[in-house]
This record gives sequence, structure tokens and C-alpha cells, in this order.
Amino acid sequence: MSTTTTTTHVQGWARTHGISRGLGRTLAVFVPVFFLGTFITFGLRQLSGLSPAHLQLGESATPEKVAQLEAQWGLDQPFLTQYWSWLTSVLHGDLGLSWVDGTSISSALFGRAIISLSIAGLALLIGVTIGFALGTVAALWQTTWVDRAITGFTTVISVMPSFVVGIALVAVFAVSLGWFPSAGYVPISQGVTPWFEHIWLPALAISFDTIADVARQLRSGLIGAYRENYVVGAVVRGLGPRRIFFVHVLRNGVGPALTVLGMKFPNLLGGAVVTEAIFGLAGYGKYAADSAQRGDVPAVQGVLVVSIVVVVVFNLLVNTALVKITPASARGV
Amino acid sequence: MLGRIARLPSGRLGLVILLGVLFLAAFGPALAPYDPLEGGDAVLAGPSSAHWIGTDYLGRDVLSRILAGSTVSVLGAVQVALIALVVGAVPGILSVYLGRSFEWLSLRLVDTLIALPFLVFAVAVTALLGNGIPQAMFTVGVLVSPVFYRVSRAAALTVSRSQYVESALLSGASVGWVVRKHVWAKVLPPLSIALATTMGAGFVVVSSLTFLGIGVQPPAPTWGGVLASELMYLSYQPFAPLVPTLLIMVTVWAFNLLADAIRDVTGDAGRALSRPAPVAADATA
Repeated sequence: MSTTTTTTHVQGWARTHGISRGLGRTLAVFVPVFFLGTFITFGLRQLSGLSPAHLQLGESATPEKVAQLEAQWGLDQPFLTQYWSWLTSVLHGDLGLSWVDGTSISSALFGRAIISLSIAGLALLIGVTIGFALGTVAALWQTTWVDRAITGFTTVISVMPSFVVGIALVAVFAVSLGWFPSAGYVPISQGVTPWFEHIWLPALAISFDTIADVARQLRSGLIGAYRENYVVGAVVRGLGPRRIFFVHVLRNGVGPALTVLGMKFPNLLGGAVVTEAIFGLAGYGKYAADSAQRGDVPAVQGVLVVSIVVVVVFNLLVNTALVKITPASARGV
Repeated sequence: MLGRIARLPSGRLGLVILLGVLFLAAFGPALAPYDPLEGGDAVLAGPSSAHWIGTDYLGRDVLSRILAGSTVSVLGAVQVALIALVVGAVPGILSVYLGRSFEWLSLRLVDTLIALPFLVFAVAVTALLGNGIPQAMFTVGVLVSPVFYRVSRAAALTVSRSQYVESALLSGASVGWVVRKHVWAKVLPPLSIALATTMGAGFVVVSSLTFLGIGVQPPAPTWGGVLASELMYLSYQPFAPLVPTLLIMVTVWAFNLLADAIRDVTGDAGRALSRPAPVAADATA
């Protein structure tokens, strides 16, 4: 009796220890990523050579006026000082003011980011659900026609760029059939159904890539896990196929698919630029494209830094989940 | 190696399609029956003997616009991949030889590039830097370079731990000689796979950018731009986007076929690429 309690105690210790160690490793990667990413983002102004003076003064710019305006925006400070004061206010949730109209970027971005995040989130959900279903079915029926059909399907959808999928979806569901609105957005406060009707086509458009990659990685991960000796052992001991699948195979074979998910999320967020153009949504991707074309550097930096934060947080979550599901990944295996 | 690729059915198909696409890129503008920029009277006309795939909202011949736009669309992908190759592979190989601090910094930079939401950055940076073709190619090239960094670094690491490299270094060979003589041969197969995949991916990105009017602005013809202008009139011509769409898809597919064929031909050397590399994988390396 006492041995069992000791064992569970040791296992529990090992598990928490593994998680904190996995988290430590993840932080060791993502803290530098955050600082380098924000540094590159902030360096974009220097790189582009743009200044609020050209935007606001236009042709009437004299050197004195330009210098005065740049001093007003704090641009006469040394680069690292500017970076540090920008970063500290970003960490306090203040993304600064737009060069074009002097309005707060944080408040302009907040409403738009919700649109893009709900689309990316729904796309992720679609990608995970369908990807897991296809990958599992293909692995369970490997080398049969079902497997070949799924592999063929994932190959086809992986070569379809998201804007092509988006156009096809608009052409079929919105224009030809007229089942769903082709453009625009309705906030969730006006009802879940209209909200969903507006975002599910764009979400589907950017999810294809994720579906294909998750399905492929899960299939090969599961097939690899089925070949392991402990699975043979489980079969020999007479365990049921369901228990073998969920306890032995899925847990050990799911790693690559989860890792891919962490890497796909930036694409889902980035894909917003294209889908928002197709579906006429005023999300953060459109804000980024418009601001960049106007030369509104702080607004672009605001979008980019928000997306970096979201990606870093998402990857921390995925890696934590990964360590919890497959403890071996904490050891970097 | 081309011969061995051509002996595989999928490799042959990929090569044939890509040759066709290259032909379009080289001679497309000359083959265009009409001026791609000049509109006509027939606006939004369907396919006819005069206009094989119809006209757009300004009466411009869509076939001519697709043909004239093929150079930018296809060469853009090639340029992106070549820039990415240089920006990625050189530090990738050097990271094994230039000491701890360079290794750490380059690894973190690559992690950062991977974590950036790709398209938003491509659009934003290109537009901020002046919204031209060189800016677009440079930005996208840098953003996709981590693939080359990883592949070349992995191969270089394997070689650098082998005994023949050790013995070469012990007998007084310089690092440059070892890289040229031994490392390069091991890095080449995975790099060529990455090159084919990146051209496919770069092609999608270039099409997406031109679709948004970034890098190449309208009225200059591009495949993405043709798609964008047809999207606005989808309710009049629901099937008009079909031709540029199919062109884009088939080209991407051909690049992927080629990558798979190289992987099959070179055997184990390319295996590493098909596995996903976790962002944190190199943390302690």
C-alpha cells in the first residue's frame, strides 16, 4: 500500500517538474523571440525612412518644421531610448498614436482584432477537428482506399492558396447559391447565428492548410506509434483496441500534429490580410495593409506587436499542453 | 540528378508542368494577342473567338493580361527562393563553425522569423519600404529563409561531427576548405528539396501580394491581380476566376511534385524536411 502512494507521489512530482522544465525551455525560446520581434518591428521606421512630417506637412515641409515635428513625436531621441519607451508603453497596453489622425491605435485595433481573432480561432477549430478526424481515420485504415482517398484530398487542399479557396467559397456559397453573406461582419452581440454566418466562410478558407498538415502529421504519428513495441505488448496482453488507441497510440502519436499546430497559428493570423480583402472585413489585417500603404508606421507597428504577442502566448499554451500529453517532449525528445 | 527525377512519373509530370510555366514566363508577354493595359468596348464579355477567356471590367482581354503577367508571377517565386537560399543557408552552415554567440543569435533570429505572422509582415514591410517589386522579393525572401537555415544547419551539424571532417581538421585543413569539400555535398540534397518547396510557397505568397496590390500595383498585369479584378465582378461572371486559379494551383502542385521527386531520389538525406521541426527544438543545441 505504501509503495503505491510513494509511486503516485513520485509520478506527480515528476509531472509538475516536467511541466515547469518544459515551460522553462519554452520561455528560453520565446522571451528572446519577443524582444527580437519587437526590436525588428520598431526598427521598421528607421528602415523605411518614413516620418510623420512628410505625412502631415506634405509639400510644405521645411527642414525646421520637420525637425520640430519629429522632436514632438520624440524621434530626435537615440534609437534605443525610443525603443525602450515604446516597449514599456506597449507592455502597458498603449500602442501610441496614429501618424495620420493622431487617434489612439490601441482603441482602433481592439475592435478589429476581435474580428480577426474570432476568424483565426474558428479556423483553428475547423483545422483541428477535421484534421484530427481525417488523420485518425487514415491511420486506422492505413493502406486501404480510405487512406489513399484522404491522402489525395489533403494533397489537393494543401496546394490551394487561401485566397483561391476564399474566392471559390464566395463564388459557390455566396454568389451562386446565395446561402451566406459574401461580405461584412456582424458582432456576436447581435446574435450568434448571423455572427457565425459571416465568419465561417473566411475561417474555412484559411483552415485548409491547417487541415492538411494536421491530418498528415497525425497520420504518420499514429502509424509510427502503432509500430512501437509497447503497442504490440498491449495487444498481446489482450487490451481492447479502443483502450490501446486512446491510452497508448494517441497520446504518443499526437506530438508532431500539436507541434504543427503551434507553427500554423501565425499563418492563420497572417492569412487575415488576404481573407479580409476577399470578404470585405474591417479586421486587423486590413488595418495593417491600409496603414502600411498610407505610411502610418506606428499603426503598423501596433498590429505587428499585437500579433507577435498572440503568437507567443499561443505557442506557450501549445507547448504546455504538449508536455502534459507526452511527458517525453519535456526532455526535448 | 534531373535524369533520375525525370524517371519518376510524378517527377516527370512536375518537370513538364514547370517547363510549361517557364515557357509562359519567358514568352507569355510576347504571345499576348492584345495590349494587356488597353481596354475595349466589350466590358465583362464572356468567352468568345475574339477573347478566349473573356474581358474584364475595363474591357481588357483577360488572356492577354494572364500571359503578360506570367513573367512577374513566376520569376517572382524564383527570386524569392534564391534570396531565401542565400539569406538562410549561409548563416545556417556558418552557425556550426562561427562559435557560440553567433549560433545563439542566429537561432533566436530564426525562431523570431518563424513566429512572425507571415503574410501580415510581408504586406506591412513591403508597403512601408516603398511598395515595389524589389522590396516585396527581399521581404518575402527573408521571411521564408528559416527553412534553408534549418536544413543547412542540420546537415552541416551531421557532417561536422563525422570522423572524416575531424581528421581533415586535425591534419590542418581550414574551415573554408572543409565547408567547400565536405559540408556542401551533404547540404545540397536537402537544400534542393527546400528550394523546390520554397518556390511553390513563394509563388503563393507572390500571388497573394499581387492579389492585394502590394509589390506590383494595378494596372500592371499579374496572376494575382487578374484574380482580384475578377473577384469584384463575381456576380456577373462567376466562372471567370477559373483560369488564373487553375494556373496558380497547378504551378504550386508542380513545385510540390518536384520536391517529392527530389526527396525520393536523394533518399534519406531529404527525410528530415518532411518532419515538422518544433520551434523549441533547437533550444539547447
